Amino acid sequence: MVLKILLGVLLTAVIIFGLGLPMSPHPQAWYELPVIPGLGEKARIIFFHVPTAWLSVVAFLTSMVYAIAYLRKRDLSYDIRSSAAAGLGFMFCILATLTGAVWAKFNWGSYWNWDPRETSIFVLLLIYGAYFSLRSAVETEEKRAALSSAYAIIAAVTVPFFIFIMPRIMTGLHPGAKGDPEGAGPVVEFKMSPNMRIIFFSSLVAFTLLFYWMFTLRVRTAQVEAHNHQRG
Amino acid sequence: MDFLAQNQLYIVMIIVLAIWLGIYIYLFRLDGRVKKLENQIRE
Amino acid sequence: MKAASPPFRSFLRSAGSVFLKDWRSELRTRYAVSALLMFVVTTIAIILFSLGSEGASPDALSGMLWVVVFFAAMSGLSRTFVMEEERGTTLTLQLLASPGAVFFGKLLFNLVLVTGLNAVTVLLYGAVIEGFVIRTMSIFVVTVILGSMGFAAAATVIAAIIARANTKGTLYPVLSFPIVLPLLLSVIEATKKASDGAFFAEAAGEFQLLISYIVVVVVASSMLFEFIWKD
Repeated sequence: MVLKILLGVLLTAVIIFGLGLPMSPHPQAWYELPVIPGLGEKARIIFFHVPTAWLSVVAFLTSMVYAIAYLRKRDLSYDIRSSAAAGLGFMFCILATLTGAVWAKFNWGSYWNWDPRETSIFVLLLIYGAYFSLRSAVETEEKRAALSSAYAIIAAVTVPFFIFIMPRIMTGLHPGAKGDPEGAGPVVEFKMSPNMRIIFFSSLVAFTLLFYWMFTLRVRTAQVEAHNHQRG
Repeated sequence: MDFLAQNQLYIVMIIVLAIWLGIYIYLFRLDGRVKKLENQIRE
Repeated sequence: MKAASPPFRSFLRSAGSVFLKDWRSELRTRYAVSALLMFVVTTIAIILFSLGSEGASPDALSGMLWVVVFFAAMSGLSRTFVMEEERGTTLTLQLLASPGAVFFGKLLFNLVLVTGLNAVTVLLYGAVIEGFVIRTMSIFVVTVILGSMGFAAAATVIAAIIARANTKGTLYPVLSFPIVLPLLLSVIEATKKASDGAFFAEAAGEFQLLISYIVVVVVASSMLFEFIWKD
């Protein structure tokens, strides 16, 4: 209960402060956000876009961990958790893609540019899509659980290769990527003022709490459903 | 109209807040309903 | 290798016999070879028609080569496992051989199949398509060999998954593409370097990546195969 209220307060505060605080080129007062060169007011999306992208990765890892747990213990409740995490991850992945595309339209001039991170999230979307089409193709519960767990693990094992491949093939457009004229490195470290950082990290915490809540809800509904199914 | 044009950011903020509030209330109600079902099963 | 313990030797023997079984049945029916060969010919013909008299840039052509390879591999490599399900021989195989032996036998068969397929594709592609020139042969040969190994490695597990899911290959490209994409991208990159005439050492990064990809995928899938294979 405490966590739920904390989540409500935090995310409301993030929305109000993240969108509401004025931006100025030379911030004086505590409430003024700095203008990041080349981004301007468009920088505000970072409070929402980055957490969704972060969650789509966290959900993917959660799904993989429960997939491993399922293969070890052969307990269907782990499969429920694995697929619930994947479902939420898919949703957040779509949100991250959409928010990113809208922002790219106004910052880079087109919705899609095959920037390294766009390509990576595209692959993540494909993996989630493949995972769910595999799940819908198998009828037997145990088989579905085993096959989709195996697929999730294989996918999780190959995804890290993109981190090494992408920079070789194309220079990034993303803020903080190698091609950024403002310099490479995490945006959080050198472009954000302390007050922006506070909003950013509260947003990360709030979104993670939101994910956790939605995850437990999904698991609980699935368990109720499974229970009703068993009794016929 | 002028007011809307000058305060676009606040309009966006209000819409986002409304959406967030909707999601928050929805989640709370869903939580309550699941709890009720779980209690029924336990009995 | 000299100090191979008896269990390891028997493992090798049963993996070898799984391979031989598939090999003989392939020789008897020649299904994969003829179907895949026709597939490659058709795809290259389509590329030729769509290019017409206009030439494409060498970079685009070296990418296109791997498009042909990807779809040819995706149409043929699921065969080894789907065939077992269709004939109803899965259970027999489950009883007679250990999952590891089945996996490595099938992997070896797919490796032979895809290497042969790639050799034919590359020769045909190079002979027919004019703009496609390879300036550094050594890079290209290593790329094709490593690429074949990578395709075989990734395709084998996914073939096992879709065969067990009874989907007969419609899902195969969908499931494989995200898994194969890192391989595909670095192979295309290496081929571009080969056609640009780069030095062998310049492609070392791609080769390291390919080798680590192959190792990771083979290790992960040999560990997972048992769970996919056994009910």
